[in-house]
Amino acid sequence: MIPHKESFEYLHTHRPRSRFLQISLTLALLGPAISWWIGNFSWSDLTHQRRIDNLRRFLDNIRPHPLRHQDWDWSIAWKWVLDFLTEPGLNATLSTLAISILAISFAALWGTILALPAAKTLTRASPFLPAGGSEGRWRHGAWNGLYLLTRFSLALLRSVPEYILAFLLLAMIGPGAWPAILALAIHNTGILGRLGAETIENLPPEPMASLRALGARRSTIITSAILPPALSRLILYFSVRWETCVREATVLGMLGITSLGFWISEARAHGQYDRLLLLVSLGSLLVLLGDLVSALVRSRMRQDLR
Amino acid sequence: MSLDSLQAPPSWGHKTTCLAILLLAAVASWFWLELSLTDVVPSRGGWLVARDFLSRALSPAWKSEAHYIPPGTPSLPWIALGAAAQTLLFAAAAMGLAIPLGGLLGFLASSAWWSDEMIGRRNKTARRFRQFLCPIIWTFARVQIALLRSIHEILWAILFLAALGLSPMAAVLAIALPFSGVLAKIYSELIDEAPRAQAHALRSAGASTPQIYLFGLVTPALPDMIAYTFYRFECAVRSSAVLGFFGFPTLGLYIRQSSASLNHGETWTYLYVLIATILLLEIWSGSVRRRLLS
Repeated sequence: MIPHKESFEYLHTHRPRSRFLQISLTLALLGPAISWWIGNFSWSDLTHQRRIDNLRRFLDNIRPHPLRHQDWDWSIAWKWVLDFLTEPGLNATLSTLAISILAISFAALWGTILALPAAKTLTRASPFLPAGGSEGRWRHGAWNGLYLLTRFSLALLRSVPEYILAFLLLAMIGPGAWPAILALAIHNTGILGRLGAETIENLPPEPMASLRALGARRSTIITSAILPPALSRLILYFSVRWETCVREATVLGMLGITSLGFWISEARAHGQYDRLLLLVSLGSLLVLLGDLVSALVRSRMRQDLR
Repeated sequence: MSLDSLQAPPSWGHKTTCLAILLLAAVASWFWLELSLTDVVPSRGGWLVARDFLSRALSPAWKSEAHYIPPGTPSLPWIALGAAAQTLLFAAAAMGLAIPLGGLLGFLASSAWWSDEMIGRRNKTARRFRQFLCPIIWTFARVQIALLRSIHEILWAILFLAALGLSPMAAVLAIALPFSGVLAKIYSELIDEAPRAQAHALRSAGASTPQIYLFGLVTPALPDMIAYTFYRFECAVRSSAVLGFFGFPTLGLYIRQSSASLNHGETWTYLYVLIATILLLEIWSGSVRRRLLS
């Protein structure tokens, strides 16, 4: 008997299925299990005597330095925190923030510029309109080549992690804030370029098509029909990526760049785990603050998109 | 329709404000960091390093460039592939912890599971529980997520390295903790934003609370959740590669070592293996996402 079209049997046997998805999900489920099996990871490693001794030393060391040989006293602890904030703490936090802001500004600028040739709907011989017979084959090829080249360069830009980029740039440019700014900017340009291109491709095509049919040039279409409607979403992406920039900027200092990370690696090298913990909490506060600002910007942008 | 509504200008207010603030902040940051454009230009020594390094971009090494190679060392491509495999292993092991932990925290932090709208008031104790205990659990989960997320995986790694010493578990936990926070945040948002029609239907059909939650709320959000998890795996691989810089046997360790001994050809080999791994993963997870969400 053929099951009825709306019966459970029919829906079950005719549900959409994809062999590729089945294999991918199986791999995704098995992957972690296999890695725990063949990898060198085990929980018992954590209860090893050596680890426990190490942990005890660490816990002794995170007690604020002036309080190490006496009872806990809030006023001394507070003074220690304040001293620390005035000496490297606050400066390093502000530098971290400044690095992230400059990085996202560069990335926003270049990401938006590169998003244009990376948008398939714009980068073709006859944008937004059905292809006419007048365009030659080489023109199609050239536009298509530009599109593919931009897409590939964006993929390359974002494929190297920021930390490794900063490490390589540091050897060339030397210490200072620039390696961190450039590393963050390069990586995020790759990401924002792709997101921007997808935003442009998903815009409703009618306004662009009618402008083009009236004989408008690409530059006119970009400034009047692409950037204004795409801007809300672009700013939304900027703020999302800025959040990660703040997170990464704290860490990039570990390569010798004057942000929080620099002092973190100093404290680590000297075994001053009390300062280490304070610096990590300072970084965490900065990240939470960044999240808050970015959430505010995003809610505003969502209002515009509605 | 009145003419006014047709002529309403597009709203530029929020957007211009945001961009203006960004610009001002960028200028302020420039002065705070005392930047100058001349500093971007490498010094003489920097130029030499840059030239030596960049000139090897198109000729990565196929053989080890070290002066002394201990007997029995596998050839360079094998080392690089082994390092890539280790990178994937660390990432997968961390995701194995982050997904269940993120799922649990995401469940506790989603507001749908205890909202009155979703769940029938069956008896007095259940109502009390929802009124008093649920907001506490919810707040606790939210704070937990924010704390886990706000500390970068490298900082977690440094804390674990200080507390435990160099153990592979330090890297796995360092990736797993912040990633479980991020996963929990996104899971809870996806569950809260998923369409509620199924849940309402199940509720009026008399389903129990766990049934409503599992089949009415989680199931509609599942494709998005899986798609996002795949994306996070990509990020985990990147993080796992970077954690190599702190002594774990992933690609970062080899990049740091070969770069420190100025074996630029080797550095490029490892970089290309890293880039290829990440691009392949991006293509894979991208096509999984497209198929899941179409």
